Amino acid sequence: MLPGGVFNTKYESDVAILRTKTQWFLLALGVIFLFLLPLFAPDYWLSQLTSLAIVIVAVLGLHVLTGLCGQISIGHRAFVGVGAYAVAILTTRYEPFGAGLAWVWTWLCLPISALAAGLVGLIFGLPCFKLKGFYLAISTLAASYIIVWVFKYEGFSSVTGGFIGLPLDPLYIGGTSEEPFIDLSSRSAFYCLAVAVMILAAFLAKNLQRTSVGRAFVAIRDNELAAEVSGISIFRYKMMAFFIGCLFAGVAGWLWANSQLRVNPNQFSLLDSIWYVGMLIIGGWGSTSGVFFGATFLKLLEIGMTDYITPWLGDMLPSIKLQVHVATNIVQGLVIILFMMLAPRGLYYLWERLKIYYRLHPYAYWAR
Amino acid sequence: MDTFLRAFTEGILLGGVYALIALGVVMVFKASKVFNLAHGGILVFLAYFTWWLLVPKGLPLWLALLMLILVSILFGLTLDRFIFRPLIGQTMLVTFIITLVLGFTVIPGLATLFWGGSPQVMHVFPSGSMTVGPVTFSYTFLFSFIIATALFLIFVFYFRYTKTGLLMRCVSEDNLISQSLGINVKWIFALSWVVGCLSAAIGAILLGTMFAVNSELGGLAIIHALPVVLLGGLESVPGAFIGALFVGLAETFAGTYVDPYVSGFRELMPYILMVLILMLRPHGLFGLKRIERI
Repeated sequence: MLPGGVFNTKYESDVAILRTKTQWFLLALGVIFLFLLPLFAPDYWLSQLTSLAIVIVAVLGLHVLTGLCGQISIGHRAFVGVGAYAVAILTTRYEPFGAGLAWVWTWLCLPISALAAGLVGLIFGLPCFKLKGFYLAISTLAASYIIVWVFKYEGFSSVTGGFIGLPLDPLYIGGTSEEPFIDLSSRSAFYCLAVAVMILAAFLAKNLQRTSVGRAFVAIRDNELAAEVSGISIFRYKMMAFFIGCLFAGVAGWLWANSQLRVNPNQFSLLDSIWYVGMLIIGGWGSTSGVFFGATFLKLLEIGMTDYITPWLGDMLPSIKLQVHVATNIVQGLVIILFMMLAPRGLYYLWERLKIYYRLHPYAYWAR
Repeated sequence: MDTFLRAFTEGILLGGVYALIALGVVMVFKASKVFNLAHGGILVFLAYFTWWLLVPKGLPLWLALLMLILVSILFGLTLDRFIFRPLIGQTMLVTFIITLVLGFTVIPGLATLFWGGSPQVMHVFPSGSMTVGPVTFSYTFLFSFIIATALFLIFVFYFRYTKTGLLMRCVSEDNLISQSLGINVKWIFALSWVVGCLSAAIGAILLGTMFAVNSELGGLAIIHALPVVLLGGLESVPGAFIGALFVGLAETFAGTYVDPYVSGFRELMPYILMVLILMLRPHGLFGLKRIERI
């Protein structure tokens, strides 16, 4: 619902992402704030925000696949892993431009790892030719296990590093690794990079919704039969959704590998894939803003649990041998379940309701 | 030939274990159309509970089993009342995600929280092994196979010849119509969860004796049960049993004949089977093929 006095008189204004000047102003303010954060935020929060930004990139991919096209994937973290392993393997095993231009190769790996994740996603998306709903979800569950098995498998350890994984060099642009032109290895610099990629990814995902492809996805999600009758090639578009969703995952994997400077199979567990789906649920299916709401909410919950609540609980009840991550997992899981049961349309919907309430304020009963 | 026989027996016996787990999943699915991925989590919880009663508390076996039965009934009722009853009528995907979250994070998390999560050993069945010709296998495998077979027969009989079995089939077909025909749908759902949890308890005792009780057990169990259930067809009790034997055989043969060349292929086998079954025959061998209507 638009603010009072604002009307859509042209098609362009109807489809505009940002409708009013206030929205433009607030967005610009928000972006400037995000980029100024490294000046005053402590290191701990910067690294948490960096990982949040990376997660948001991955969940935006899942949003295209699940939120728009309606194909549930419970193996998205594994696709992120494919991207991360692609860049790790390519940078440690090959050096096509020599040591001096190693940074060019690292950056070239960004599209390559995105493509690698996309192609692997296509393979595991193949069952969607016949399957839908939770059968497909099971096949992506299998994907999650198979991909991690490949990472772990000893026979490939000369390539993937087996259980130990692979190290990466810090990221930089220009110059040499000793004297880089732009050094991205510091926490604040990498944070800026991650946020920039996140904003770009959000813009792409949001724009995808407005193209014919995005509308086809939504049509498939809402009614597959009707979409097919309307001339949408279901299989093609589903595969496309898998490909695009996994492209995002690959980019997130590239960022992840470069932020951790090490990849190993345990980083890409099924649990994280479940959290990704949970973020989508908490934020609300099918809206790009929902991804931000959900990811931020779950991340804040995780930080709050691990840093504040579980130590406190541990002091209160020392008899229970409290493992921090376990209590966090339980609470996160319960929150996801509660959201599915009580607010299935997610936080973003609640936020919209709130806005509508205030826009109509004395006459709020109209909104019903 | 000896290797073949050994792999064959082991496969059949392993299949019995898988059938045990798969039957619990099929049981819940048949009644309430909820694909219960939480089965493994419940199994871990109950396995730890049994261990806690038997080893640190030192209760006699019969008392421990009695308490296990009581707790699993309570567990089933709680799950049904607070989580799945409010979700009656939701799509399969919603309940699927909820059981996924429950079974992989919340329930095993609770077990770890209460009992520490380190691997524990308990003995319910007599350990030891017997030898028939060239084949040696442990008693626990034999017991689990016998129990799985018994359970399978009971379930088949139950669904075919008893009134509640008929009611369950009716409710799974359409719970709205069942309700209007005077069937107490809520009660049927609760019953199906109780039976599901009881079969998880049986699985907990068997798997807990066979392997050490640890928090990974549940995930492993459910992952192996998935291809079984898919192969057999989700609604089919005999399908689950035959599928389990097939998957058990496939796994041991892969272990015997492929593992020397590709180490660890055996662990990969269930996932590959899962994807293949889904691609080739998604409704399974004995499942019902759904025809889509507008």
